[in-house]
Amino acid sequence: MYHLRLVGQFARASVQNELAYRANFWISLLHSSLGLITGVLGLVVVFGQVETIRGWDLPSTLALLGVYQILAALRGLFIGPSLEALAGMDGEIWTGNFDFTLLRPVDAQFLASVRHWRPFALIDLVLGLGVLVAAVYQLATALSPLRLVAFLLTSLAAVTILYALQLAFSALTLWNPGFLFTWVLDGLFNMARYPVGLYPGWLRIVLTWLVPVGIMTTVPAQALTGTLPPGTLAGSLGAALVLLLAASALFRFGLRRYASASS
Amino acid sequence: MSGASANLRGGWALVKATWASWMEHRGFFYLVAFSWMIPLLIYMFIWSTAAGEGTVGGLTRGDLASYYVVLILVNQLTFSTNNWTVGDAIRYGRFNFLLLRPLSPVYDALASEVAVKVVFMTFALPLAAILALLLRARFDLSLANSLAFLPALLLAWALRWLWGYWLALLSFWATRADALLSLQESLIFLLAGQVAPVVLLPGPMQAAATILPFRYMVSFPVEILTGQLSSSDLGIGFALQVGWLFVALALFVVLWRAGLRRYSAVGG
Repeated sequence: MYHLRLVGQFARASVQNELAYRANFWISLLHSSLGLITGVLGLVVVFGQVETIRGWDLPSTLALLGVYQILAALRGLFIGPSLEALAGMDGEIWTGNFDFTLLRPVDAQFLASVRHWRPFALIDLVLGLGVLVAAVYQLATALSPLRLVAFLLTSLAAVTILYALQLAFSALTLWNPGFLFTWVLDGLFNMARYPVGLYPGWLRIVLTWLVPVGIMTTVPAQALTGTLPPGTLAGSLGAALVLLLAASALFRFGLRRYASASS
Repeated sequence: MSGASANLRGGWALVKATWASWMEHRGFFYLVAFSWMIPLLIYMFIWSTAAGEGTVGGLTRGDLASYYVVLILVNQLTFSTNNWTVGDAIRYGRFNFLLLRPLSPVYDALASEVAVKVVFMTFALPLAAILALLLRARFDLSLANSLAFLPALLLAWALRWLWGYWLALLSFWATRADALLSLQESLIFLLAGQVAPVVLLPGPMQAAATILPFRYMVSFPVEILTGQLSSSDLGIGFALQVGWLFVALALFVVLWRAGLRRYSAVGG
């Protein structure tokens, strides 16, 4: 309960902060819409030349783009801003302000993960849901309740994996404070805009097993279109659990090593 | 202030100092270069998968791979950093110090430009070579195309640099030009041969790409080198590239004069 109340307080403080700059709403709206329009137009260009690529057609790839947009929105809502304030450019690990965070009487991982909220990310959420619904209407086959359940479960796994990856990449900063590991994740996460099947074999292996950004969007989209290979649902839930535990362990291990920013 | 614009020795010293200090932080710049590359890499992979063993719009997988490898290099070379080096200097008041030097502030932007491009190339060249091998890029270069490539590349760089500079000068009036910049990013992505080579774009987008300046900042030299253009397209392309360069130059001069008169050192 105490933790939930804390989250509420953090979110409220962030909203108050953002509302001081109301013009930013329009800039965020423009940013998000432009991002979405370029994404959709990109797909239109590709599928204007070819009908399908490795079994993916325009509606199913569009559904995947919707999933990506929703994940990116959740990432922008709190996971990203919070952990970026920790491990990003001029972040707490960089400046040494992390000392004060560690002194607070709350679990450090919890505090580092939920401190900063960006309410304008909800724009991306709305746009993403819009794309997803539009894509589902265009799919060749109707959506069954069973598929919807599979979609929700795999999406849950996706969000968990996203958080675990962001935490793990942030934790790496504890070893090498000068390198922006989270920027590497930003780049790789961009690759989740498209099905892993569209990438060459070696990259598919990297994006599935090494840094599983691919699972995050490809698997929920497959669940939605009914092309989920057997065992994938359980596999992605298992992978999410393992990654979450591993990332938390890495973060804790890094904390023990942490010796502030000064010499 | 004698001969501010002719102070070549001072300008060169600035270039060397800036380059040395940027090279010191190369880890950071490699990361920046990596993140600029990602969208191009994604589309390179998608198009070469789409082509498979056949062709897409007359281009084979080897053609598409070589197009994107060169595009990645050209994009790194022409990318404009003026929003950070000039725009931020104006926004945060650092521009005061630049104006006080007996040296035009343009040198400062040029110094950063040379520095950043040298640092980026130490990252981008080896990576492009690896990609070319991995994706089995197929280059068949003709002498004429290679000779036309160089002036097109130089003009593309000049156009993108000046274009970025006048956009950055808008900071004299508005402290946030983000909206315009993100619009420009989207247009470059869609129309400058990044999402697809211009020949593969659908009709209306292809027409827009031909007329608007963005293609001439990035993909035009690449299209020349990879032999995608007929000689009449080549002539029209060069004419439009030079035309847009003059437009950018005019905008730069007008905004520079009006802006300096208006400048009153925000937060300096």
